[in-house]
Amino acid sequence: MSISIMPLTDADEEQLPRWSKWLDLSDRALAVLLLAPAAILLSLIIVYPVGRLVYTSFFNLSLTSGLPAEFVGIDNYRAMIDDPVFWQTLWNTVLITIITVPGALLVGLGLALLANLPFAMQWPVRLSLLIPWALPLSFAGLIFAWFFHSEYGVVNDVLTRLGFGSIIWFNSPKWAFAAICLTIVWKTSSFMALMILAGLQTIPRSLYEAADVDGAGRIRQFFEITLPLLKPSIVVALIFRTITALQTFDIPFMMTGGGPGTSTATLAMYIHQNTVSFLDLGYGSALAVVMFALSMVVTAVYLRIIRTKE
Amino acid sequence: MSAVVVPSPASFLTGKPLRFIAAAILLVNGLFPALWILFTSLKTESELTLKPITWLPHQATLANYMQAFSDQPLHLFLFNSFMVALLSTLLTLFVSVLAAYALARLNLRFRGLILALIVAVSTFPLVTLLVPLFEIMRSLNLLNTWVALILPYTVLSLPICTLMLISFFEGIPRDLENAAMIDGCTRLGALFKVVVPLCAPGVFTAGILAFVNAWDEFLLALSFNSNPSLRTLPVGIQLYQGEFAFPWPVISSALVVGIVPVAILIVIFQERVVSGLTSGGIKG
Repeated sequence: MSISIMPLTDADEEQLPRWSKWLDLSDRALAVLLLAPAAILLSLIIVYPVGRLVYTSFFNLSLTSGLPAEFVGIDNYRAMIDDPVFWQTLWNTVLITIITVPGALLVGLGLALLANLPFAMQWPVRLSLLIPWALPLSFAGLIFAWFFHSEYGVVNDVLTRLGFGSIIWFNSPKWAFAAICLTIVWKTSSFMALMILAGLQTIPRSLYEAADVDGAGRIRQFFEITLPLLKPSIVVALIFRTITALQTFDIPFMMTGGGPGTSTATLAMYIHQNTVSFLDLGYGSALAVVMFALSMVVTAVYLRIIRTKE
Repeated sequence: MSAVVVPSPASFLTGKPLRFIAAAILLVNGLFPALWILFTSLKTESELTLKPITWLPHQATLANYMQAFSDQPLHLFLFNSFMVALLSTLLTLFVSVLAAYALARLNLRFRGLILALIVAVSTFPLVTLLVPLFEIMRSLNLLNTWVALILPYTVLSLPICTLMLISFFEGIPRDLENAAMIDGCTRLGALFKVVVPLCAPGVFTAGILAFVNAWDEFLLALSFNSNPSLRTLPVGIQLYQGEFAFPWPVISSALVVGIVPVAILIVIFQERVVSGLTSGGIKG
């Protein structure tokens, strides 16, 4: 993590008496006052909903039936085990994660290395990395749906010109999945590149100069200087990318709507469908608990890495 | 600059041709999709169905833009997106300035714990809270209001902005605040009269990130605001699709209209955005 949060030092402690008369009485009260808005918001939007989520997952709560919520124990979870769509969407989500996270890392690393060259003008380069980052995921989904259009898409146009013939992307589960993964890699690699580029720019030039003197080639320099020093920024970027990949929704929703069939639907799409379309809140909650558990594991790994770094 | 240039064995790797190719790759990768949508938006429906497809529009037309605004209330989508993003940004900044100040300046006993908590929240998958948030908004009668989106969006950006602001605040010498307090300012007065103005660039950067986060969000907007006049841009753009028809030039026009505001923001503040993102902002 590149944020530096300085620990309060002894020097700070020594300063305290100087202004203690203004805050002695109110230091704790002030802290409570300042942190209260954040605490209230987090309680309303995260803490309480998490509790409610777990609670609801043990109920049969369907808004379409009009019946009051009925406690059903782990029935929702049991139903999940027998639900092929759950397994399919879970598998798709995991697959998207293990394809697009390393994919975005490799593409992002490539882009960052290119962007790190000594260009006369920096702003076009920066802009070319920022625009994909700022583009809403849902827009990217629509734009690439048009890119991969079987009749008038630019991808098929290029493929035809190169002599490969065109592909009907969205009729086959395999190609539809590939199109989605390519889109996600494109959309997310820029952010990766920005993070890695920031890491690259902190590597002192003198290290490379010394390596030049020692006669180490560019490739050896890359593997022995660049990569090891980039590791911290890469790890942080990877973890965040993994967590967002587990939540993939916008791009497949816009590109295929989960189709053909449910072959490209993700867990987030299935949660959305159960909640908003079927109004089956009990089952939707149970599905969400699974996703929650998945990302908690990743977050735990992340916190651990940060802590060991410190 | 040294006068003697010693060519390294691999100097071709930093030479002009490579730089040219690198720039081309970066620009095509970053800008081509947006450019392609711009081209599409300028084409007529009949040009669009030519085979082989045309790249640059032969007869550029703005008719698709007119249609984008007349087929759907695009101006309302823009207005909703803008207001939701702006209000949630202001709320995010207000809340995170206070929290960051407490964490940067006060000797809190649970500081480490609170920081870990913030980091954990920054990775929180808001998707999983779709059901309970839906229920809460429904029971508070907030479905189909801006508030239903503003509150979750604020939480979405709160951790990033707080972490960023903590590091900005720590860069401000304490003496300045102390001086203000000796001059009779209260602690909060010093925060808003001295610290925040000094950190204005940082606060502004945090604001841009929060704005972009809110502008981009899709799932909650899709689920909580089904009333057409309250839809945000990403949700509203879906409405152009008919059951079987996909009016791509019109959709492209609406997309361009949606991309331009954020693109302008990014073009103007690019350096600041990059430094903000890489100093602590984290987003997929």
